[in-house]
Amino acid sequence: MTDERMRELELKSRAAFDESVASLDAATRSRLARARAQALEELRQRRMSWSSNWVPVGAAAAAALVAVLLWQGDESGQPASEPALAALEDLDIVAGGEDLDMFEADDGFYAWAADEVSDGMG
Amino acid sequence: MPEEPLIRSATLSLPLSLGGGRVTARETLVDQERALDRFLAGIERRALRIARIALRDHAEAQDAVQDAMIRLVRSYGQRPEAEWRPLFYRILRNRITDSQRRQKVRGAVMAWWPARDADQTALDPIESAVDPAGSPDQQLEGAELLERIETALAGLSSRQREAFLLRNFEGLDVAQTAVAMGCSEGSVKTHYFRALQALQQVLGELK
Repeated sequence: MTDERMRELELKSRAAFDESVASLDAATRSRLARARAQALEELRQRRMSWSSNWVPVGAAAAAALVAVLLWQGDESGQPASEPALAALEDLDIVAGGEDLDMFEADDGFYAWAADEVSDGMG
Repeated sequence: MPEEPLIRSATLSLPLSLGGGRVTARETLVDQERALDRFLAGIERRALRIARIALRDHAEAQDAVQDAMIRLVRSYGQRPEAEWRPLFYRILRNRITDSQRRQKVRGAVMAWWPARDADQTALDPIESAVDPAGSPDQQLEGAELLERIETALAGLSSRQREAFLLRNFEGLDVAQTAVAMGCSEGSVKTHYFRALQALQQVLGELK
């Protein structure tokens, strides 16, 4: 078989295939769209399931870490460091399951808070 | 030089990093979901036609494509987008193979019954072949041509048919086809070439 004939077979069969794809009926297209939506919905469900399973585990691990840090501070006779105490406060927020939206996109507040502390010390 | 404010300790840095990180992760997930949606929307119709040709059963083909979508999203959604296409077709190919096995078992069981059902008749490539003694002026284009090709494809080995469907109809390159078929690139070339030869013999000159 020559290359030309082989190429012709490829081109003509592919053109016929493309035409059949383009002429799929509305019901079939709709069914495909629903199948796609279902696949993506499953992805969302799995993500939600994953986060609800692992967030408490992560919070517990962080709590254990902070507890160790605080305990080491007591052992050495030194009070727990300021960052460690601050981290403990942060952990309260995280482990408490509070809505963290209040911390988002409020750069103005943090700038103001930083200025206030800076002024208070100056 | 102004003094660094002490408030930049962990008290504020942790919520900031948590908040910022959460937004970024959420955006990434939304982007990934959109990319998957785009990918599946772009591939689903061709995939259905390919599954339909391989299985010769519309409902089975729809189920196979839907399963392949779910499995791709579930197992490979995190992989780079460039890998999705061959992986999707690998999943679809495996699913089609499973369906074909079921069809075969069903066909064997049904053969014991005196009356043969319509599906089984459609699966027989000899009975469903287009009569070659048809009009010499017949223009084999569009659906009619594809029907002839589908019938001819049914007579190929499964590996040759897969190579032809993936390479020629879906347009995967040799490397992608090798991933989809789970074989070497050399095997893909061999199967594809033999498929073309066999189709040429069956179909003759395409007009």
